[in-house]
Amino acid sequence: MLESLVSLESMSLSSMDVSVLERLKWLQQQQQQQQQQQQQQVLSSTNASPELLQFHGTNNDELLQNTFSHFQMLRSGFGPNYSMGFGPSHEPMDGCISRTNSCQMDQADTVGVMLKNSEENIAFSLKSKRKSEVKTRAEEKTEKKIKVEAETESNMKVKSNLSNTEASSETSKQTSKGASEIQKLDYIHVRARRGQATDRHSLAERARREKISKKMKYLQDLVPGCNKVTGRAGMLDEIINYVQSLQRQVEFLSMKLAVLNPELELAMEDLSVKQFQAYFTNLPVLVASKPSLMVDAPLFPLDQQGSLDLSVINPNQATSIEAPSASWETQSQSLYNTSSLGFQY
Amino acid sequence: MERQIINKKKRVFSVEPNKIPPSEVFRRKYTSHLVPALKKLNMNKNSPQINQLSVKHEVDMALALSAQEFSWSRFLLQKLSSSNNPTTTSSSSNGIRIQERSGKEGGGDEDGETEEKLRELQKLLPGGEEMNVEEMLSEIGNYIKCLELQTIALKSIVQDTT
Repeated sequence: MLESLVSLESMSLSSMDVSVLERLKWLQQQQQQQQQQQQQQVLSSTNASPELLQFHGTNNDELLQNTFSHFQMLRSGFGPNYSMGFGPSHEPMDGCISRTNSCQMDQADTVGVMLKNSEENIAFSLKSKRKSEVKTRAEEKTEKKIKVEAETESNMKVKSNLSNTEASSETSKQTSKGASEIQKLDYIHVRARRGQATDRHSLAERARREKISKKMKYLQDLVPGCNKVTGRAGMLDEIINYVQSLQRQVEFLSMKLAVLNPELELAMEDLSVKQFQAYFTNLPVLVASKPSLMVDAPLFPLDQQGSLDLSVINPNQATSIEAPSASWETQSQSLYNTSSLGFQY
Repeated sequence: MERQIINKKKRVFSVEPNKIPPSEVFRRKYTSHLVPALKKLNMNKNSPQINQLSVKHEVDMALALSAQEFSWSRFLLQKLSSSNNPTTTSSSSNGIRIQERSGKEGGGDEDGETEEKLRELQKLLPGGEEMNVEEMLSEIGNYIKCLELQTIALKSIVQDTT
């Protein structure tokens, strides 16, 4: 088991080898000390464990993935604080180990509390966290968040414990940095459900899938009628249909325009003149000839530059529009050109 | 040179800078690009009928120019400027794609289906096939919005002329 751990660590950590090995050895010692107690406790609490296991199972994903993502992030951030936080406190590690083995009531749920603390944005020291964990373990069972439950107890337990401890130090760092919630980090936190693999590849894949589902949700709001359809395939269907219908509409309208084009000039003169006047008088937005369109236009998020730089003439535009003959056309062109937008989501 | 001086003098700063919604700015840009282009088309091709393709070309060009913040617009511009025969999405090709899609939906697991559909979306988006999936999804969002605005602008232009 230790070898597997070591291999895991060496794979994932480059800068923390020494400290990790130290921790592993320490862990090993702890486990040896604890095994006897644990066995007794396991026997006594086997009745309680299935319930707890189930209860933990539902929340397994959150914590585990949080810890792992933290675990990955910790590499760069770790340094000297690591050994400080870890050396003296043996008790909570026992708690981790024994808890996952036996679902002990009295031992702390280190990860749960640590991550919960980070959420509450309290600058606990590691020690104080763990002590509080010991006391509040019973309370945490009723907490919604994060328990670490190993699918294979031996492997996952130690892995999770390691990541827990690292996560704790990391979360303490983060709380000091002011990150109130784990979810506010740049990484998308992927949660492994019970029974799912937690190796790096599946983790990365799951993170990727989470990102994609986020974007799908945004698209769902955007496309009308997507709310009724559930499931990715249906939504994608709707989106595809919608985009196609929009493109077809544009094409149809352009065909119409092509037919109507000769009559365009006269009507467009009025339009452009009105816009021209609007610009000069600094009226906000409303184009006199198109009042209805304001209502129809889908709402963009705001954030707009104010200055209308009328002197900017798009170089690309020049390719399609050569030197216009009429003088008023030049003026209208320069007026129409505005500065770049800032579309934001 | 002279024009630049004149244009600089006409520079207008709006009193309430942040109150112009991006949709309106897009629409103004779009119409400002499209209308003169159409006029020029009109003027140049007085006798022969105005080519539908060229109108479509101008329409797409106006769209690409009005939405230059997005990567798909850059792709669109490239496509348009490189080729005079615009290879924009036409309804006929879309129709064929729909039939194909319904045929393929019968078999295959869920992931395969979603992959298929994502690929289709990529085809719809200009330049979508060169992006990865995540990027494409976010680009599709703003592409849809710009398409909507474009249809509104076109409708208004058509209405004004009739």
